[in-house]
Amino acid sequence: MSVLASYYDGRTSRRHQVTLEVVAGVAQVRGEIERDCPIGQLRVSERFARAARKVSFPDGAYLEIIDGAAFRELLQETGHQDSLVVRLQQSWRHALAACAVLVAVVVLSYVYLLPLAAQGIAATLPVAVDRQIGQGTLEFLDQHVLAPSQLDARRTQAITARFRALTAPLPDAPDYQIVFRKSRIGPNAFALPSGQIVVTDEIVRLLDDDDALMGVLAHELGHVHRRHLMRRLIQSSAIAATATVLFGDVSAVLANIPTVLLDLKYSRDIEREADDYAIAMFKANGLPRQKLALVFEKLESAGKDDPASPYLSSHPANDERIAHILGAR
Amino acid sequence: MNEPSDLPSQATPPFSTVLNTAAPVKPEAFSFSGRGGEYFRIWIVNLLLSIVTLGIYSAWAKVRRLRYFYDNTSVAGGSFDYHGNPIAILKGRIIAVVLLAVYNFAGAASPLLGLAAALLLVLAGPWLLWRSLQFKLYNTSYRGIRFGFRGSLGGAARNFLMWPMLASISLGLLAPLAYQRFKRYQHSEARFGATHFSFHGSVGAFYKTFLIGLGLWLGGIIVIFVGFGGITLIQMVHAGTTAVFSLMLMVLALYAWTFLALPLWMTLLQNLVWNNTRLGEHRFQSDMRWGRTAFIVFTNVLGVVFTLGLYTPFAQIRMMRYRIESLTLLPASSLDDFVASSEAHGSATGEGLGDLLDFDLSM
Repeated sequence: MSVLASYYDGRTSRRHQVTLEVVAGVAQVRGEIERDCPIGQLRVSERFARAARKVSFPDGAYLEIIDGAAFRELLQETGHQDSLVVRLQQSWRHALAACAVLVAVVVLSYVYLLPLAAQGIAATLPVAVDRQIGQGTLEFLDQHVLAPSQLDARRTQAITARFRALTAPLPDAPDYQIVFRKSRIGPNAFALPSGQIVVTDEIVRLLDDDDALMGVLAHELGHVHRRHLMRRLIQSSAIAATATVLFGDVSAVLANIPTVLLDLKYSRDIEREADDYAIAMFKANGLPRQKLALVFEKLESAGKDDPASPYLSSHPANDERIAHILGAR
Repeated sequence: MNEPSDLPSQATPPFSTVLNTAAPVKPEAFSFSGRGGEYFRIWIVNLLLSIVTLGIYSAWAKVRRLRYFYDNTSVAGGSFDYHGNPIAILKGRIIAVVLLAVYNFAGAASPLLGLAAALLLVLAGPWLLWRSLQFKLYNTSYRGIRFGFRGSLGGAARNFLMWPMLASISLGLLAPLAYQRFKRYQHSEARFGATHFSFHGSVGAFYKTFLIGLGLWLGGIIVIFVGFGGITLIQMVHAGTTAVFSLMLMVLALYAWTFLALPLWMTLLQNLVWNNTRLGEHRFQSDMRWGRTAFIVFTNVLGVVFTLGLYTPFAQIRMMRYRIESLTLLPASSLDDFVASSEAHGSATGEGLGDLLDFDLSM
């Protein structure tokens, strides 16, 4: 079995027409160049459908095979075997199986692994990191979206004092600070990773019920206590990284769409967790759970008047949450 | 087998100024024999192994991918070869991840520390790009001869730091000049064995190309604004509606136009750069056409979006194939006379970092 090939010596670009033969485990190059080498010292390039295969010598010289069919036979005779990965790559059956496994791995990671890992990572990061990330956010909001509160100072102090007197449902409650602001974005309350819980005048007026307000505060404290923002930050970074790997070559804008869409599930998970926290807090302090449900009823009716109510977006359906609050044991 | 040199040259004849040597040498078209289906299998196996090994396999995947592209690219009867060592690439990636983590942590810990880290990264940038160019070229070979890069670190600092900064200070007025300097540095400092590449693209030609690209893009934008603006006005006057729909259409049209104008620019630049690059006395010719590039880019995006990313490898192969097969080598004499050079090679650290920091070093 003699195989037609081009020989390059690695020092000049001159092409030499040669034939390759293997006799008793020794490769014999014959033609314009004559050289022998034990096949154990040769390296054969990976098998691709159309690319010419290459056989390299230890000194950098190599053969580019011209007669591919004859070379395949030669390899078979000498007992050469492709690596496992190459065999996987060359078969459609295996490639499709890899595709199925990949989808399963991605889905399982998204549903179970990533939230767990994010929780673990958040737990190892010092709270100081959360504070650093949150710092400046309130400053920015104050400049662009929020205005000083117009509520009576006695009222806000009373709300704060009442909430401070409640016990948290979990040990090691973090430092938090309740700040009141007038907003351009309607009734809202949100927590910053720096531990600030921002309550708008509009939501205080809308609820007009101190017990219900305790519910809002408990929900937001849940976000701070469980470090939800940090976890979401880690999760959405991981999704963004994966999306960039998958879609990165197409467009930066397209690569961000899955991040936004896939983050919604985590957003709803986190809201449910904060609801559970509020439920536990109400239970621990003997507050009526109906007051907590009242928050969502009032927000729901307010939302009907103003479809752009931001407190409702990215949150679970209100009916579902009310049912959950009233039904929770 | 792939013997593109035996193909009759059906391409358009090169420039009228063909160098007349004793033995007229025919143009050698670059050919690419990679196929989407085959690359899909390599891609999906690479992706799975990379994810399962938490990214460690990605260094091997990179080598496999590049070998696939290089082995399937041939000109004048020989194909290219990639020699990068996965372990070296892995080391580069680990260092890159650590550096990025330190950088992010520094930013989170204190703004001052973050600023210092950012400054350090900006200063280290040229060095990384320089090493990355060296690594990439040193690990590429053709006919058994390795490519190489001889550019100095000072040159890297000028071309990767000084010129881009001047370009941004000048609000982009110097951008074509900065880009010309970068391509001149990249191409004229490269070598094939002991033979040097040279670059002859003038600053004026770069300004012209930038102006054509920018002018066409702006022209389209104006047409879209006037067209949709008119429609919106008519709707508002007649129906009194807010015309949200036509505004949305306008944004969509602007986006689509930008998407089509970008390939035009890419096409003009590839042609400009390669038509002005020489290897010793051998020349290159690139005849990418805008319509074809735009068609490929547009259908690729649709394909990737509607298959949730599974079309990606097919899309990459299509674009790669068009770019490579638009290139022709115009030899001035026999290609048998190149000799190897014996110079030090680059490290993989730069390359790994370049990858992670998303610098585009492609030609």
